[in-house]
Amino acid sequence: MTLQTNIAPVNLLALVVAAMALSLAATARAQPRQVLVPSGSFHSVMPEVEGEPIRVASFYLDVTAVTNEQYEVFTAKHEQWQRGEVPAVFASSDYLKHWAASGPDYEVIGKNRPVTHVSWFAANAYCQSVGGRLPTLNEWEYSAQLMDFDSQSSVSQFAARLMSWYSSVDTKNSAAVGSTGIENRLGVKDQFGLIMEWVQDFKPPVADDLSLDCGTVGRMQQWGNAYSYAASIRYITRMSYSPTTATATMGFRCAYNMEQEPETATIAQ
Amino acid sequence: MKTVSFILLMFCLATSLAAQHHHEITDALNAGEISAEHSLYHLDAEWTDHRGETYALSDFSGEPVIVVMFYGNCTQVCPMLIQDTRRLYSMVDEANRPSVTVLAITFDTENDTPDVLRKYAEQEQLNIPGWHFMTSEAASVRSLAMMLGVQYSKKSDGHFAHSNLVTVFDSQGRVAKRVEGLNQPMAEAAREIRSIIKTGIRQ
Repeated sequence: MTLQTNIAPVNLLALVVAAMALSLAATARAQPRQVLVPSGSFHSVMPEVEGEPIRVASFYLDVTAVTNEQYEVFTAKHEQWQRGEVPAVFASSDYLKHWAASGPDYEVIGKNRPVTHVSWFAANAYCQSVGGRLPTLNEWEYSAQLMDFDSQSSVSQFAARLMSWYSSVDTKNSAAVGSTGIENRLGVKDQFGLIMEWVQDFKPPVADDLSLDCGTVGRMQQWGNAYSYAASIRYITRMSYSPTTATATMGFRCAYNMEQEPETATIAQ
Repeated sequence: MKTVSFILLMFCLATSLAAQHHHEITDALNAGEISAEHSLYHLDAEWTDHRGETYALSDFSGEPVIVVMFYGNCTQVCPMLIQDTRRLYSMVDEANRPSVTVLAITFDTENDTPDVLRKYAEQEQLNIPGWHFMTSEAASVRSLAMMLGVQYSKKSDGHFAHSNLVTVFDSQGRVAKRVEGLNQPMAEAAREIRSIIKTGIRQ
């Protein structure tokens, strides 16, 4: 009994020191890895929700897409996701095609470039392994449209840029994450301009009558502005994938529920 | 523009023609194609059923398995989907039924706890041997849905938009038959199950 009461203050002290060290470390960190995306609503380009905004609850989102280096840490811990180990049911033969058989050659693919050639299953498993999940389609789109523009003309300019990017994503020369200069008002970076990203429900149930054929683009275009046209291209491209697709254009970032707040998160002011 | 319209027209035509070859390629054409050469049992998640027991999907290998995805608060469509599954199960001879496993898996991992699922099973009078109403982590449920080709999205009101699909797996966890939509004929799926019981594999 006495022993325990003697030890308790020491433990407490250790705890306080540890907590101070942690908070110091947090202050020193320049870049948050995740930000809180507060709840809100937005208008989707999906035809069936015309006029009715989609509500999104608060969640945390990675500031940048997952990098080659981060993904290598994951495959080192989870051998079943190494190149050559993944059963065909989870990824096509293009899985991690740009990595050398022995592992990523960073001279060629860059440590801080977004990992691509990952299937939906791989992306889902990665996010699960870090205590998160893939963002839902609506979460991703909600965050993506939290952009501030000075004027209608800057919206149009941005949309034009977006359209030209979607029509020719340069997979050979992808840049490092965080380098596009495109970010939403919370500091979430590169949702456009770098890679396409997996979302949890990339093929929503409406996908059966919303496919690349039979005038879908035409129906989506009724919103009229270039920004929603770019969005419709994005929706349709996403829907065209299978969950085992592992292409050079697709990477991902993770989201986290409110109760799973990541230690490396900050709340944008 | 004319060329584009023509290509679209051809695409639509090709789609509708292909749809008529029901037996061969319906599965491949519908969203969420799955190759039957691939086994469900690669998914190594842990599942809890309405009796509170935990399983890996591979625990059910060796015999035919029927999988259906639903959620408890779905009061209109899902009871029909579950009854479709019961209809298929009932088409298997009584003597063979103990060889058949039915997995009814919820989308609603937040609300459908094992206890809620038990009440659901009782209400549907399906708390019977061989039937497992199951839940897991949300990411695992989503993975399974991706493997089946089941699409679902949670709506703002807490309900789910989802596709209606009953899938039969052979003894190795490969897709033997997919039945899409409500109130569909089940005779072919039942034949597959009988074949799997006899030979272990799909026809």
